[in-house]
Amino acid sequence: MFRYIVKRLLQLIPILIGITFLSFAMMRLAGGDAVTYMYENAGVSVSQEIIDEAKAKYGLDKPFLVQYATWFAGMITGDMGESYVSHRDVYETFVSKLPATILLTLTSITLTVLIAIPLGILSAVKQNKWVDYLIRFLSFIGNSMPNFFVALVLIYFLSIKLGWLPVITNKNVAQSLVLPTLTLTISMAAKYTRQVRATVLEELSKDYVTGARARGVRGKVIIWKSVMKSSMLTIITLLALSAGSLLGGTTIVETIFMWDGVGKMAVDAIMMRDYPIIQAYVAWMAVIYVLVNLVTDIIYHYLDPRVRLGGDGA
Amino acid sequence: MSEERQITIRRQKIKKNHTKGKLIFFASLAAILILIAIFAEYICPYDPYAQDLMNAQKAPSMEHWLGTDRYGRDMLSRIIIGSTTSIFSTLLLVAIVTVVGTAIGIVCGWSGGKLDTVLMRISDLFLAFPGLVFALAVAGVLGGGIHNAIIALAVIGWPKFARLARGLTMAQKEETYLMAARLSGSSTLKLLIKHILPNIAGPILVTAVLDIGTMMMELAGLSFLGLGVKPPMAEWGSMINEGRNLLQVSPWMALAPGMAIFVTVMVFNLLGDTLRDYMDPKQRSK
Amino acid sequence: MKKKWMAALLACTLMMGMTGMVASAEGKTFVYGTTGYSEEMGDAGLNPHDNYSGWSALRYGVGETLFKYNDNMEAEPWLATGYEFVDDNTVKITLREGVQFSSGRTMDAQAVKECLEDLVAVHDRAPSDLKIESIEADGLTLTIHTSEPCPAIINYLGDPYGAIIDMEYGIQGEGGSANVAGTGPYIATEVSPTEMTLVKNENYWGGEVKVDNVIVKSFSDAGSLCASLQTGDIQGTYGLQYDNYPLFENNPEYTINSMPTSRCFFGQFNMDSEIVQDINVRKAIEMGIDKESFCRVLANGRCVPAVGVFPSSFSYGNDAVTAPSYDPEGAKALLAQAGWRDTDGDGYVDKDGQKLTIRWLTYPTRLEQPLLATYAQDTLKQIGIDVDINNTSDHRTYAANGDFDVYVSSTTTAPTGDPEYFFTSTVVGAKNYGNYQNEKVTNLTEELHQTFDKDRRGELAIELQQEILDDCSFFFVAHLNMGIVTKSNVTGMAAHPCDYYEITAELNIN
Repeated sequence: MFRYIVKRLLQLIPILIGITFLSFAMMRLAGGDAVTYMYENAGVSVSQEIIDEAKAKYGLDKPFLVQYATWFAGMITGDMGESYVSHRDVYETFVSKLPATILLTLTSITLTVLIAIPLGILSAVKQNKWVDYLIRFLSFIGNSMPNFFVALVLIYFLSIKLGWLPVITNKNVAQSLVLPTLTLTISMAAKYTRQVRATVLEELSKDYVTGARARGVRGKVIIWKSVMKSSMLTIITLLALSAGSLLGGTTIVETIFMWDGVGKMAVDAIMMRDYPIIQAYVAWMAVIYVLVNLVTDIIYHYLDPRVRLGGDGA
Repeated sequence: MSEERQITIRRQKIKKNHTKGKLIFFASLAAILILIAIFAEYICPYDPYAQDLMNAQKAPSMEHWLGTDRYGRDMLSRIIIGSTTSIFSTLLLVAIVTVVGTAIGIVCGWSGGKLDTVLMRISDLFLAFPGLVFALAVAGVLGGGIHNAIIALAVIGWPKFARLARGLTMAQKEETYLMAARLSGSSTLKLLIKHILPNIAGPILVTAVLDIGTMMMELAGLSFLGLGVKPPMAEWGSMINEGRNLLQVSPWMALAPGMAIFVTVMVFNLLGDTLRDYMDPKQRSK
Repeated sequence: MKKKWMAALLACTLMMGMTGMVASAEGKTFVYGTTGYSEEMGDAGLNPHDNYSGWSALRYGVGETLFKYNDNMEAEPWLATGYEFVDDNTVKITLREGVQFSSGRTMDAQAVKECLEDLVAVHDRAPSDLKIESIEADGLTLTIHTSEPCPAIINYLGDPYGAIIDMEYGIQGEGGSANVAGTGPYIATEVSPTEMTLVKNENYWGGEVKVDNVIVKSFSDAGSLCASLQTGDIQGTYGLQYDNYPLFENNPEYTINSMPTSRCFFGQFNMDSEIVQDINVRKAIEMGIDKESFCRVLANGRCVPAVGVFPSSFSYGNDAVTAPSYDPEGAKALLAQAGWRDTDGDGYVDKDGQKLTIRWLTYPTRLEQPLLATYAQDTLKQIGIDVDINNTSDHRTYAANGDFDVYVSSTTTAPTGDPEYFFTSTVVGAKNYGNYQNEKVTNLTEELHQTFDKDRRGELAIELQQEILDDCSFFFVAHLNMGIVTKSNVTGMAAHPCDYYEITAELNIN
């Protein structure tokens, strides 16, 4: 097991190198630079010499490969550089943004599970009854709205029309959490309700359930004891994937609600061409990707020992 | 054959007929949307590009069913004309990722070995790469515009299909009929196209149709962040973005294109779902 | 099921909301939301010697400069009481008596000398503006020697980087968290890149400060700023989008205070591009842009149509110069005269089989610019000109490569209330992306640079503007109003043409 994990973690290295190099190259190609943008935002024009001087300070005048090598050497030694915009340490900045994103991930995943699993089971058990149709209808609606649109609709009704909730994050974390969490949960819950329903239905049609029924085991017991256990596999995998993408920061939702997490940090950094921050973000995404895959495989293994740990990653 | 089994089969048949009806229904809805997109120019009640500042930001009325935008352009006309961009870009995007992804997947699954490993590692790279960084970088290199948003999403979208096709191909490879075809001396290309492709096309098609909705939302998300079309073109995501700041003053400007995306995505999702049921009535979970 | 959860959630939030309300500081507290304070803008923190942070020191009442700009953007004594040019390279400044830094130190010439010396040692722009060679301090008299004649030095000393701070107290904290000891009505107790807490300066030289606590909050999204003002989370805003002004106009609960600034939206033609080398085409384009409607409708009345470089509040502003006005028929005639006619009936004029398409380069940071582009695209279409808009944040590259016919950008044309800046930077300087060459303009700019006499400077400014307007090399579309929207019980917050002074001793809540 240990060796397996180490082997998988080693896979992280080529991905990390590849991905950071790629993003480094992409952002350089994209043109623009933090220094020029900052002067521009301030709205006053300054002479080219001043801009060039500032660029030189960050090494932006050096050839691309040199810049990458410098960055990479720094990263290996644990120094991710400093932000061109805030001049703060990248690692510190990044770590300071993480809790917000993790919190949002936790609340939305929890709420999703709390909604999707009961509704999915209900829908499956009452297959083709009106409850089922209603739930499926709602889940289709939830699944068909882009989340930035959901966010705008929620803001419009809950904050502006009804005045129940603040639009943006304020000191009151619990209150500020509601809208972003709801936004994320609506589409996820919709997706998972359908998923749970489908999985449960599949299990219900299996021979062992028919057998159990024939033996007179009560419906509820069958659902909770047997069906859920086998359905968990699919659901956990999906949840892990979702958690992965949420941990990467939900760029659009974080931006709309001014939720100060890594997603917003990434958008801001991209807009400002704040390379060191972008690099940190991209590296973080790679780590999440590999870890999530690893965790899912391990969970698979524990829940269903028939699944062998392949280490293939594909 | 037991009696019970026969009943099940009959039930499945009825179900299949029922599904077929649904399939036709949703396919027609999708077809209607596509027809609207094709003939958008002729359906618009007003010139979608004509500005009229005297009538800017008018609320929905008999004259302008969905109101007007800040330049006084008719929202309904813009949503109709915007369907061309929004729907066709999405379809194009899905087509690209499906074809490219499937081709790579089949090659990987068939050949295995080094080539497979290398391509799969590359696909890892793109799967792990944050889409937004990629899209914004592409926009920076090639300039904004919906074409480049398509390119960006295509580059990160193909691995999903590659993996699917690879898995399916590997499963097919073991089948006996392929062994037979191989022994009879068919060329590899012929084997792939004549035997493998038709056998794996079903699940791929279903995934592709189900992906239309997701892709449409992602494209809209990028235009929402300002990577959309060039003015004065209309595209739903950009329209929501334009209307976003006016959400309080003129809510229809963001809500109308939002509804358009919603309805379209819903239709394609329902179509994909039904298609899946139809092609594989027993296994409904994948 | 879903309902239950919703109910539980709502109950939770209500409870949280109530507990949140208990805590509040003593005395009067003013919460101010702004889109103008952020690390991205380079003005986070209060250290005036760092980037644009001086703006924040000045805006939020922590720092003050030797000279300040009045509503006509003329430099007036502030921490100084007077000045005198001893010769071309020497200026003698008398300081105000009885001014104390929040650190307790008395402000005298020595303190100001230390501050300015640090400024020119570490700041990026100040040394080239001020050209300070050496400073002498004697009691309350400060003598500055410049390396070359610097007629605008008094204006430059009013730039926010010239905020006077106590160097003995020094800079506490770094970058976006830097705090300083200034002389203003407020003292910062907490500074972060997104928020600042200020308390009143009990010993302020300018009299009693009326509000006890001020909290400045940074907003990156204007929509959120607007909603926060509506919900009462904040009581005053800077940077509210005029899209949302209708919500506050004619509403007794709010006061809108606005003032035209020298932030100007202007276009420059690419003189290297063949298609706009013909002055008739350039003039036709100018005549095809309806500045009035743009300002009234699209900018919701928050922009003022421009004629020249400077707003009307300047003596050498809009009213002193003339430029072609909106006249579609006249524009068509000009195009016809230049040989551009619609021969193929596609609605666009052509010449030698070539459609008249102009590449319009602009960028999205300033909301007004894409709006103007889209609007101009339509009005120019009416006179037969096709506009290809390139709205990109990477506009500098395009501009530098000459990849445009019209480049519409915006800048504060007179940040220090002096006319020279725009001409040296944009007309003959590094930002002359259109490669506009006119010997007369170059000479006049040089003369302006050397002239000390204020009236003569004004005359030169008019002459220069008229010259570039007659050449149709630049066109000026609108000046932006700076707007401060507050709850109506807030008084003493006035918009200002240079948007430096926001929170002052005048601020009060009734």
